[in-house]
Amino acid sequence: MPPAAATNLGYTPPDGGWGWAVVFGAFISIGYASAFPKSLAVYFKEIQEYFSVSYSEIAWVPSVMLACMYGGGPVSSILVNRYGSRPVVLLGGLMVGAAMVLASYGTSIIQLYVYVGLIGGFGLAFNLQPALTIIGTYFQVRRPLANGLAMTGSPVILLILAPLNQFLFDSFGWRGSFLILGSIGLNCCVAGALMRPVGKSIQPKPKTEPPECDAAVAEKAEAVDTTEQSASLQTEKGKSQSRSQSCVHRFIDLSLFTHRGFLIYLIGNVVMYFGIFAPVVFLTPYAKHQGIDEYSAALLLSIYSLADIFVRPATGFIGNSKWIRPRIQYFFSFAILYSGVCHLLCPLASGYVGLVVYAVFSGLAFGMVSALLFEVLMDLVGAHRFSSAVGLVTIMECGPVLLGPPISGALVDISGEYNYMYYACGLFMLVPGIFLFIMHYYNYKKLDEEQRQSVAVEMKTSEETVKLQIGPDDKTAHEADR
Amino acid sequence: MFCSRIVLQCDIMAASLAQLIEEGWGDYTMQQEEGEKIPCEKAALGEDRGIIIMSPSWTQLLFQILLLLVCCRHINTKTSGATPSPLAPVPTVARSVVLKGESQNETIEVLNPIKLELECTWTGDQDKLPNITVYWMKDENEIENSRLTVQLENEPYNLKREFSIEKEENLGTYSCVFENVSKINFILAAPQIGDVREKPIVSYVGDYVVMTCKMEESKPKPSSWNWYKKNGTDEEQIFPAEEPRYKIKNEDEKTKLVVHNLTEADSGLYYCGAVYAIATTKSPVKLKVITYWEPLKPFLAILAEVIVLVAIILLCEKSQSKKDGATGNETNADQTYTLTEGENKDQEGNSSVRQRKV
Repeated sequence: MPPAAATNLGYTPPDGGWGWAVVFGAFISIGYASAFPKSLAVYFKEIQEYFSVSYSEIAWVPSVMLACMYGGGPVSSILVNRYGSRPVVLLGGLMVGAAMVLASYGTSIIQLYVYVGLIGGFGLAFNLQPALTIIGTYFQVRRPLANGLAMTGSPVILLILAPLNQFLFDSFGWRGSFLILGSIGLNCCVAGALMRPVGKSIQPKPKTEPPECDAAVAEKAEAVDTTEQSASLQTEKGKSQSRSQSCVHRFIDLSLFTHRGFLIYLIGNVVMYFGIFAPVVFLTPYAKHQGIDEYSAALLLSIYSLADIFVRPATGFIGNSKWIRPRIQYFFSFAILYSGVCHLLCPLASGYVGLVVYAVFSGLAFGMVSALLFEVLMDLVGAHRFSSAVGLVTIMECGPVLLGPPISGALVDISGEYNYMYYACGLFMLVPGIFLFIMHYYNYKKLDEEQRQSVAVEMKTSEETVKLQIGPDDKTAHEADR
Repeated sequence: MFCSRIVLQCDIMAASLAQLIEEGWGDYTMQQEEGEKIPCEKAALGEDRGIIIMSPSWTQLLFQILLLLVCCRHINTKTSGATPSPLAPVPTVARSVVLKGESQNETIEVLNPIKLELECTWTGDQDKLPNITVYWMKDENEIENSRLTVQLENEPYNLKREFSIEKEENLGTYSCVFENVSKINFILAAPQIGDVREKPIVSYVGDYVVMTCKMEESKPKPSSWNWYKKNGTDEEQIFPAEEPRYKIKNEDEKTKLVVHNLTEADSGLYYCGAVYAIATTKSPVKLKVITYWEPLKPFLAILAEVIVLVAIILLCEKSQSKKDGATGNETNADQTYTLTEGENKDQEGNSSVRQRKV
């Protein structure tokens, strides 16, 4: 394993036991956060008629929600760094529940933007980040598998929420459904209750300290939240630098922007996110455009989801194997490349059978990318800095996530054909895939070099200390001899 | 419509006729729609028709005068704008179908009153009977005096009939039947509203609801929209002027009915009607009004479940940590020891023996 991943957590993660309950809690949290914005589409038509607004105005509701969910990343990271995962997820669950209950009494579309979009979005952000972070604290050896299992929550919960929303809408109309969705959202609090902090005696220092930014106090904090690079070399450097930055570091680790692996991941992901969601959003319209009837087109989406559900734990398992784990970044780059190739080949798919094949392969691709998405980030920055890292990454991804589908939609509208959109999405994934491959090859080489250097320095210093110890003993021995 | 154009012409022609009269061509009595009388009396006749002896150069004017007489006479009678008189020319539409096989359906969209000429072509049968009986049916009832016995001579037989489609009762299914076996059905109907919502719209007591109906873009737009509520077996039309609770917003191809201050009695079946000259096509919309208590029940149930689960998990954790606290204090101490060791090492830099980090 590259030394950057040596987490220096200061303890041995359980890699099991209560960890599996935590994985289940994360499954629910991550699943709900990912699936909930997508599943609200059922209500739009009626809400649109009720408030007499246009379709684009109602489409702002999930957009605001997604924007707040991704933009709330850093806020979530700060809170997790300070208070740990559990309180933040409990707060997130309460916010989501309250948001939907308030929305069910809403009297204007603006109120829906605020309640569902703003409050709901931040609530989901407070679910997503902590759930990912806590997996890193409970698992080390089996972390890819745990991540893969937790990420499976997204398609599974979507599969449950979609028909449930339809049923609620038919029985209770949109107001009653929002009320009930509020109570369903409170189940995230149950997930939060499961997220017991690992080893209660080992608490992150900032929790027990007074909130002032004392230099001495901060130094102690820095000592515990050490950077993950070679300890002796970096800590001294880090100490002098960090004394001034200590306050900010306690909240969010901005030094990540100087971290080579983090930057590679960030650049690759930001470009990739332009093309990741559009193909599945346009799958059904594309099928109908080819002349396929509505039910078969909907079936394509189910096939896609099933492939997704199946491949996520499988990817986690493969990523855990001893051949892949040391070079898991290549596996991730391969997954992105494979997605890109899939989308580029989509226009060649002819007829329903071709589209089914495409749905299966792109479902597999999407699942692979999703399962590894946060695992590779943990691998690069280490579990300690992961919380800040994921916050910074999600706020950077805000732009591509929101702009991706509308840009693709514009491509479809301008050209009248879906081909160009698929080519564009394929390119958006192919280029980052190749970029990541090359950059990680370079990164692994550098990391190996650094490891060799740090081992050499260690050996040198231990030799010196041994010499020093032997030196005075010799003298005394000489004197004793005399 | 045709006559309204003639009304205009009446004015113009009246002016030129007046000119004629002044020049000594006689008078004609004409009564126009507004009841104005233009004295036009012809000495020779004394009735409302007149014959004038005139030179060939005036034949055009004569034709126009005759036309005027025919039409202006019609305007005299009090009629409502919708129903045309038998004399008003109605467009004739012809539809012709060749029968392939036993039975066939042809849908015809009718917007306005028309004269419909239906033609059925039958290519004959293997039985090759010399005489066959043909007749017309409307909605499963044979039309009187339409039965004919025909001699078939190795060539396709054409059956033609003209129908006057003026009112809603004239719409339906017209069929030409050959030998009680083969038939072609012509289904006459006003444009139907396509997407019908089968599930009811749900709303709440005290709230308002918006019900919409939309005619597809491809179909012709109705002249207006009406809304009806089903009361027992009747359909009562809704007039917003009488009941301010109801508001109807009409656009060309869609309509909205807004009902404020809902009560449970408002539940039921509503119909939106697209009004065409020939008929009004209706489409059902179901409304269900419930109280806030209905969704509150599942909400409270799920809330209770969440509270119970969270309590169980946290209590289990507390009791487990108490157990651990009582028995496993040493293990905790070990872990804290390792942590403090690490801390000390970092703080003191390269002190004594380096410890291997886990």
